[in-house]
Amino acid sequence: MIPLTRRAALTLGVAATMALSACSSATNGGSSSSGGGEVVIAGTYPVDSIDPGGPQGGGTGPQMVEQQLFSRLVRTKTDGSVEGDLATSWKSDATAKTWTFTLRKGVKFSDGKELKAADVADSFKRFIDLKGTNAANFPDYTMTAPSDDTVVLTASKPDAAIPRKLAVFFVLPSGVGANDTAFFDKPVGTGPFKLDKFSPNEIVLVPNPQYYGGAPKVTKVTIKKMPELAARLTALRTGEADVVWGIPDDQLPEVQKDSTLNVQIVQSSAVYTMWFNSSTPALKDAAVRRALWEAVDFPTIIKKLYPQTGSLSDSVVSKQTLGYVAQTPVKYDPVAAKAALTAAGFDFGTKLRLQFANAEFQQFNQAVVSDLQKIGVQVDLLQKEQAVFTKDLLALNWDINFQQLSNPMLDAANTVGRLYPCAAKRNGYCNPALDKLISQAAASTDEQERVKLYGEAEKIIWDDAVGMFPMAVKYAYAWNKRLSGFTPDPNGLPDFSKLQVNS
Amino acid sequence: MIRVVVKRLLIGVLVMWGAASLIFLIVRVAPGDPVSILLGPDATQDQVKELSASLGLQRPLAVQYVDYLGHAVRLDFGDSYRLGHPAMSEVLERLPATAELMLASTLIAVVLGLTLGLLAGGRPGSVVDRVVSAAAIALQSFPTFWIGIMLILVFALALRLLPSSGSGTPQHLILPAITMALPFTAIVARLTRTSVAETLREPYIQTAKSKGLTDRQVLLGHALRNSLLPVVTIVGLHMGGLMGGAVIVENVFSWPGLGSLVVDSVTNRDYEVVQAATFVIAGIVMLFNLAADLVYSQLDPRIRLEGS
Repeated sequence: MIPLTRRAALTLGVAATMALSACSSATNGGSSSSGGGEVVIAGTYPVDSIDPGGPQGGGTGPQMVEQQLFSRLVRTKTDGSVEGDLATSWKSDATAKTWTFTLRKGVKFSDGKELKAADVADSFKRFIDLKGTNAANFPDYTMTAPSDDTVVLTASKPDAAIPRKLAVFFVLPSGVGANDTAFFDKPVGTGPFKLDKFSPNEIVLVPNPQYYGGAPKVTKVTIKKMPELAARLTALRTGEADVVWGIPDDQLPEVQKDSTLNVQIVQSSAVYTMWFNSSTPALKDAAVRRALWEAVDFPTIIKKLYPQTGSLSDSVVSKQTLGYVAQTPVKYDPVAAKAALTAAGFDFGTKLRLQFANAEFQQFNQAVVSDLQKIGVQVDLLQKEQAVFTKDLLALNWDINFQQLSNPMLDAANTVGRLYPCAAKRNGYCNPALDKLISQAAASTDEQERVKLYGEAEKIIWDDAVGMFPMAVKYAYAWNKRLSGFTPDPNGLPDFSKLQVNS
Repeated sequence: MIRVVVKRLLIGVLVMWGAASLIFLIVRVAPGDPVSILLGPDATQDQVKELSASLGLQRPLAVQYVDYLGHAVRLDFGDSYRLGHPAMSEVLERLPATAELMLASTLIAVVLGLTLGLLAGGRPGSVVDRVVSAAAIALQSFPTFWIGIMLILVFALALRLLPSSGSGTPQHLILPAITMALPFTAIVARLTRTSVAETLREPYIQTAKSKGLTDRQVLLGHALRNSLLPVVTIVGLHMGGLMGGAVIVENVFSWPGLGSLVVDSVTNRDYEVVQAATFVIAGIVMLFNLAADLVYSQLDPRIRLEGS
């Protein structure tokens, strides 16, 4: 018996040592494989499809990949301004209904075929026909190609926001079918990269030598699927991943201490938005909604939970959004709040339902509930699965709804103009005066006038407390110092075309 | 024997029909639907209605069920709402990764568990026995995801010996396979230990010793084969458990297998993939149970399968 025990122990020990040694050398080799021009991105969002027109095409994950493969007519810059991508210039008629875009000359698809205006018009038709979420921004809009380098977009109503709205429209070659999985297995585009591999756990991009802006300098960009935050951060620290973003405050100090990493926190386009359901009897009165807002100590909550990635919001939209106008802050005053609720006849026996979807927002919402309970307002905090949350959101099956609302178009038309008119039926709030301002803002071709009108609309939304707008969100990015040319993006959609790997 | 196998396979068809029907009902009774997920919170009610209609979700449940079963018998589970490809292809594409993980973890668990069980059971009450028994209880008590995270912290982050996540090389397999194997190792070790300790008390062992055989010869030549019986049973029965474990382990290690596909599909209410995956998993578990029964009867001639 004894010889067996010793031998078994010895065998196990040797085997373990050999395995670890083998792994050690293999892993070192593996980490250097991300060097030499190769970059690994730890994917924050799922990417199940890269069809820009498909139902999921407008999601953050798919859009991040789509913008590497396909170009757009225009794109938003990190400062919120718009720049031409495939279009070099654009102009509208006096009514803002007809928009003419002049295309960049000499642009080629990754298969070498020249881009024609017909490709753009066909892509737009496909985009509208597929009725994805972003297509809803273009109701009954049409696009024609009067010449090889011009496209004309005709809107069904005056729409001054069209250039920014087009930041989510990607151009494909003519002839791509509705559910053309064969095309998207080997897509052809005019973006900086080509798709090399799309597998369940990673997407590999390689430079497109035909890219009009010059092929990217890196040899390969791999976007790895890493649904767990802990896995992303571990991969960043071990060198298995080069870029990670969406790092929460409780993890940031550790990442900031790492001398091999660059860390940058940028103002995003997202705003924490907590709508009140104005069709709920208890919340019909603006005075009640306003009092509930006053009852929550948002400055303290933000300071405690988001010391680096949050700041008190002073508008319905973020600062870099066209149409942003600062509003008067709502002061935390629980005594006044309780008095206002009593004066408005609020029934303190009513239990309000606060819904939210992701576990990362649990603490924030719990703190809100806690503050409301301090003045006697009862709230049921309901964390829901995304599928249930969305269904209930659209059915107005909630009293207070928490969402982090982003705005990739960086135009108030996409939030104020889309979510707050009576016809949107998003939160039970309906105000003809607000509708009028939104229509006027959409129709004005004068940018200053649009900002003024959206500002007035935001004042109504803010003062009537259609919701609480507590926090402007910042995104924390961290990337390996061996990289240069990386620019954090306010929408979580960084461009990889300028990346370089330093030796 | 052939009659028994055929009979069991026929019963298996009924089991598969039950599993397919049950999962069809469960995914539809669960709150939320694929349309809300596909379109996201920015959708309008009109878009929701249109997509619902185009996916056939507004048809009566009975009509959907008949349509589903009609296609399922041909192994056609429709196209994934989310991924755009046939659901069964997605499942079969992910199956090898999970099979690799299950095979590696089962191998580790059986080899390590049997070795430790033999060491402990060969000398009941010894220090080795106590250490093995205590370690086995501890390993069974730790949640799988915790074991995974600890292994990542030690071997990936602190020692930088192994990759923390992903797949593609043998090194990527080590941590997830060990994570999945450890709780199973504990079960095999405890079972083997008890079985060996009991077998060593049998009269025929005393006879073997009295014939002058060494401890090692007795243990490996006589005790091991009899001790294997419960281990074979537990390995067969544990396949379902391993599938469950794969769901957690694959997520912790970003392993692109069936488990993570099922989690993603359930979260996204991708009915077609959930149905196809459940069908395949049920089939695998059924076949492993049958295989365990057959091996059991071969290992112990005293056992005859019903009907043979």
